[in-house]
Amino acid sequence: MGNKSSLMLQEQDIRDIQSETGFLPSQIERLYSRFTSLDKGDNGTLSREDFLRIPELAINPLGDRIVHAFFKESEDDHPLNPLPKPSEDDHVNFRQFVRVLAHFRPIKRTQDNKLNAREEKLHFAFKMYDLDDDERISREELLAVLHMMVGENISDDQLNSIAERTILEADKDGDQMISFEEFCCALERTDVEQKMSIKFLK
Amino acid sequence: MMELWTVLYWVYGFVFVVIFLSATAHQLLGIRRYYINFLLKLFAFGQKRVERKRVSSDQDDSETSFSEFDQPALSFEQPRALGIDEDNKGFHMDHVLEYVTAGMASIMEDNVTKYFEPEELPMWNLLSRTNDRAYEFVSARLTVCWVVGFMVRYALLFPIRLIILTLGIPLFWLCMIVVGVFPNGQFKRWLNRKLVIFCFDFIAGSLSLVATFHNTENAPKRGIAVANHTSPIDSVVLATHNYYDMVGQKHTGLMGIFMRALSHASTHIWFERSDEKDRSLVVERLKERVNSPDLPPILIFPEGVCVNNTSVMQFKKGTFEIASVIHPIAIRFDARFGDAFWWQDKFLHYVIHMMTSWAIVCNVWYLPPMTRYPEESAIAFANRVKAKIARQGGMIDLSWDGFLKAQPPKKEWLMQQQQEFARHLHVDNTEEEDQLSTKEKDE
Repeated sequence: MGNKSSLMLQEQDIRDIQSETGFLPSQIERLYSRFTSLDKGDNGTLSREDFLRIPELAINPLGDRIVHAFFKESEDDHPLNPLPKPSEDDHVNFRQFVRVLAHFRPIKRTQDNKLNAREEKLHFAFKMYDLDDDERISREELLAVLHMMVGENISDDQLNSIAERTILEADKDGDQMISFEEFCCALERTDVEQKMSIKFLK
Repeated sequence: MMELWTVLYWVYGFVFVVIFLSATAHQLLGIRRYYINFLLKLFAFGQKRVERKRVSSDQDDSETSFSEFDQPALSFEQPRALGIDEDNKGFHMDHVLEYVTAGMASIMEDNVTKYFEPEELPMWNLLSRTNDRAYEFVSARLTVCWVVGFMVRYALLFPIRLIILTLGIPLFWLCMIVVGVFPNGQFKRWLNRKLVIFCFDFIAGSLSLVATFHNTENAPKRGIAVANHTSPIDSVVLATHNYYDMVGQKHTGLMGIFMRALSHASTHIWFERSDEKDRSLVVERLKERVNSPDLPPILIFPEGVCVNNTSVMQFKKGTFEIASVIHPIAIRFDARFGDAFWWQDKFLHYVIHMMTSWAIVCNVWYLPPMTRYPEESAIAFANRVKAKIARQGGMIDLSWDGFLKAQPPKKEWLMQQQQEFARHLHVDNTEEEDQLSTKEKDE
């Protein structure tokens, strides 16, 4: 690991990232190693192809959506986030890379969880559905995700009825769409912490 | 000034003699082993220093309570729908969560590309190439060690090894031509065997190769031998002890000349991988060999690509279709002394990398021959052999296909995942629909 490029991450960068994401310095170094090894063009950024070169991601039904999450920089106003907002369309730099992964850090009871708190994780999951970023999941958006998940194995009609049923169950204010609050309500009993956490290696 | 030159002259002379001896008579003198043991002590010293520094910089608060949780991951062999709770029928929006997490986990570390990168070492071996944790600034003494090590490797060992190599290759080539002069027959084979083993050993000296061969009673004398593949050096390692004919991709340049020389002396099989006809020719020739008891054993690497030696990837079934008796061999390199894994783009860089390592140390186990069961398919046989080799060498047995290194995974695997997920939804839906329709009937 890290054999192809020397460590170009400065101490200051590591500290900034640590305060922003809560990752330990050793975890950040390891992620940097991973970042550079994925960066085949050696230009300090990752493209979509770089991500989809990972076989396990390429066979994931939501692979494209997951990669998209890196490129769509969220615009929440984080007090500690001095980063320039939207990421360039085609490339992800290391800060953005780590920020997105930070959402999947396990929740630590003893720590201040900025990016990986339950609500943050849920919001990330919400954005998997909400493609046009209007803070609402429409029926079309739900259908799009369903389609990615099942491929050709279920007919459009059946998918439609599944989507309608799902919205019916979750929609509280009757606008035929699922807002973030309604989403959280629907996932009330889900163990988000367990399903959306990854053990990051040091 | 004169004294300095004299000293250097003597040092170089001494090391040259040592390496030359180690290339020729090393088994008698055990030179290579002393060297290895010395290096180990040095690394242990370095490691202690590093650990002292690491402990202070990594203030780790206690891990969360659920560190034993199982990370969701997609399996391509037995696709399983992730996160489906059988009691909760139908689709639920949280079904996507585990797929997302599995994707993120694979971005952090995946089980394929990991095995195409050089192995991670538990402790630093004083080579800057394995230095991703900024080990240099740990302590002054360690830095000095590193600098001295650097000088020794590049200025002392490398040139001398280079000399041995440049002596060795023409020697080898000459030997092959000489053997080629003789008519085919037992004497030729005997001569070939003796000379080749000697030559390979000589060349191996230029890498400071220290190979330990276990269970030599199982060393194959004929038939087909298979081994796991890490680098071009695998063949060299195995050939320093036992004679094999080789099967491999035709190369141009230096390797090509070498291969042609080898062919003078014995019946190797070189082919062009991208040519279908050539490939089927190989199969034909292999079939012939299986049935000829006189010919030396042939060495095959069924993975088809170089893997980083911590795992064994899928064996291509071709060989296992032809032969019913296979001699498995497991090779495990000890990466602490020098990583033999070939990840560099150019062969030259790779060779330089190897010749400036401390040494190449490995263990070779000859496993007893395995026979295909009467009803067993080639793939099952291949997997059985692979598992044995992986277990012997202490490597992970993977089902991933090594060619994923270069090509994207087949669409079918994605569709399989989709199918699995759909299966869990669909079943539930038909049940619900049945219930609905019976309800309608009642009304």
